[in-house]
Amino acid sequence: MSNSNPTKLIQSHAQVLLFPREGKPFLAPNEWQVWDVQDESGLPAEYANSKVLVPFTWWRSQLDSRHEGSDVLTKAKKGQIGVWFAADDDILQHAELIESGKQYWPLVAAYFPLFRDGRSFSTAALLRDRLGWDKEIRMIGDVLIDQLLQGARVGFDSFALRHDQNLDVALKQFDLFTVTTQNSWRGKRSLLAIS
Amino acid sequence: MYKYDHIDQTLVDQRVAQFRDQVARRLNGTLAEEEFRPLRLQNGLYHQRHAYMLRVAIPYGLFNSKQLRTMALIAEKYDRGYGHFTTRQNIQYNWVTLEDTPDILAELAKVEMHAIQTSGNCIRNITSDAFAGVAGDEYVDPRPVCELLRQWSTLHPEFAHLPRKFKFAVNGAKEDRTVLLCHDVGIELKKNKAVNNGELTADIYAGGGMGRTPILGSLIQTDLPWQLLPSYLTALLRVYNRFGRRDNLYKARIKILVKALGPEEFARQVEGEWLHIKNGDDNFTQAEWDRVAKHFTKPAYKSLTALTNEQVINIASEADKTAFARWLERNVKPHQVPGYASVILSLKPHGTVAPGDATTAQMLAIADLADQYSFGELRVTHEQNLVLADVEQAKLYALWQEAKKQKVALPNVGLLTDIIACPGGDFCSLANAKSLPIAKAIQERFDDLDYLFDLGDISLNISGCINSCGHHHVGNIGVLGVDKDGEEWYQITLGGEQGNDAAIGKVIGPSFYADEIPDVITNIINTYVAHRNEDESFIDAYGRLGVIPFKEAAYQNAKKKGEADKTVGEDA
Repeated sequence: MSNSNPTKLIQSHAQVLLFPREGKPFLAPNEWQVWDVQDESGLPAEYANSKVLVPFTWWRSQLDSRHEGSDVLTKAKKGQIGVWFAADDDILQHAELIESGKQYWPLVAAYFPLFRDGRSFSTAALLRDRLGWDKEIRMIGDVLIDQLLQGARVGFDSFALRHDQNLDVALKQFDLFTVTTQNSWRGKRSLLAIS
Repeated sequence: MYKYDHIDQTLVDQRVAQFRDQVARRLNGTLAEEEFRPLRLQNGLYHQRHAYMLRVAIPYGLFNSKQLRTMALIAEKYDRGYGHFTTRQNIQYNWVTLEDTPDILAELAKVEMHAIQTSGNCIRNITSDAFAGVAGDEYVDPRPVCELLRQWSTLHPEFAHLPRKFKFAVNGAKEDRTVLLCHDVGIELKKNKAVNNGELTADIYAGGGMGRTPILGSLIQTDLPWQLLPSYLTALLRVYNRFGRRDNLYKARIKILVKALGPEEFARQVEGEWLHIKNGDDNFTQAEWDRVAKHFTKPAYKSLTALTNEQVINIASEADKTAFARWLERNVKPHQVPGYASVILSLKPHGTVAPGDATTAQMLAIADLADQYSFGELRVTHEQNLVLADVEQAKLYALWQEAKKQKVALPNVGLLTDIIACPGGDFCSLANAKSLPIAKAIQERFDDLDYLFDLGDISLNISGCINSCGHHHVGNIGVLGVDKDGEEWYQITLGGEQGNDAAIGKVIGPSFYADEIPDVITNIINTYVAHRNEDESFIDAYGRLGVIPFKEAAYQNAKKKGEADKTVGEDA
């Protein structure tokens, strides 16, 4: 299944919700734009001076290209490029590229084409558990209030919600449960403590 | 049975609060119906043909009298005075309101019950043998594993939005009473001295299921130590979550992925993922086992002498002996402990409104019977009957007399009228055709108990649509409702079987009108009677004779209006 292109959701977000692994959730100004076009062209000029999340497939193509790779790396070395993974990107096939990307990307994102498409939950889990990604992972796309808790538990610590979502209600989601019955990125199952 | 600790209780209470907030947001319009839908489904709330339907979990089919009283009172207070027990070991209420649902869930939480993950594209309520812990042919009591898996799967964050629903069944007995091979994952528990030092292990079957593409599961892993179940199942579900098809609802179940890849390749991919997590701390610990397993010890059985059937029958009055003996033969099962037996209360009285239905009054009375005769515990079977698992043989006659008063003593367990049926078009918005009137018409046609006894074991299952909630694929005789140009038709399958020789039935030909079905069934049965060898069951006779004589009989006086249903034929 191919992904429909993400609409420009994050650009218009003044704020994103951050929930560090150790700490409380809070709202923060959004510094990152999302470039959602995947073609052979270079990065549009509008992103020349801003931090931008580029499609992971585009990052791959640039590194494969002798001509444009250097420009991208120059920007990346300034900490201005991160990547976002489409729901059908098989990140395990590109573990080495992701390993090398760790030196450049301040954050990565995983895209939800539709809120009830849970593939990116596994992407985040694999980034944390298997690929050892320890910086920020952002949920982008059709991100709704009622998917935040699951996202937070599989490994996301950054959330760019769909425009129409109420951020005050969103902030309260993380307090709904004080116990868990399976391990997650945030902690061991509560049941272990009483066994 | 399992008793919640404060963590289980806190989780269920907090889940009620979460859902209450989601309902409030739905009602005040800040949550759109399309976005609320998966949330309510993960709490068992469907929108049906006429009203909301709430499906409440009965994990691995085990419950107690206190819980049954709560189920009864919910039926009385929030529904129309009855509940419907399902093939998936749940209870459903057909007439609840959205506004009442959080209160119903709060009442359930007070008796350690919930509706978490009884629907939706997540890991569903885990089912098992209704005779777990008491069955004479059991080699492993599956309930501690079931409970550990219930906990592990409850609100699992990574698998909350799978491509499609996901169903586990767990078996630990010689005879499979779980339809293991018709589940997304079937877990066969074993204890073998030659394997893993005689510790509990599991064989894993994946990719089984009914619905429009019925497939039996494939063995993909053997001798998995029980502790490693969470890591192995995580690997399995992760492969499915990432690569299961999401472009077509009808191709999204894991069976399609397993079939497309082939079981060997699917197993290889799971193994590849598992290698990285198999030694991690997701695995179950012995301490967890001990905490859970202590709830599944044996009740305080008396030291009794086993009675022969003759001795049990002799307790009955002369007038009752024949009827009581019938009930003993069909509805009473052997037990592990001398002097005890397990009793099936039939929720299939002839002319019933719906197989599996119980009224508030019946539920309250049955709760009393559980207290009086069976340590206050009950089970629900996947055939939609109830079980009192631990009854003293010497008290069977007294119990039978009480059960008769509640109209749950019909001795038709395993017989033609012990019909599995989904709610069909009377309630379900997915259904193409009604199933309940068909079940009723068949029960009315075959109302002669002597004749039913003479026919012996036959399963007849009815589904109102291709989703096959009525498990028609594994009925010896299957009836499937189909829609053709707005009319309700019924397709017949023969040769399906559950249990150790599980098989998917074959469609015999063009479908029939509803009013033809009792005659069609009669003709099929007459063919069996005419051709059977002595003591030969229906399914064995079918196996020997093949479909042709049954097919000819079925169509001997068909109205000839039917034609092959191409819509169904393509995908089935």
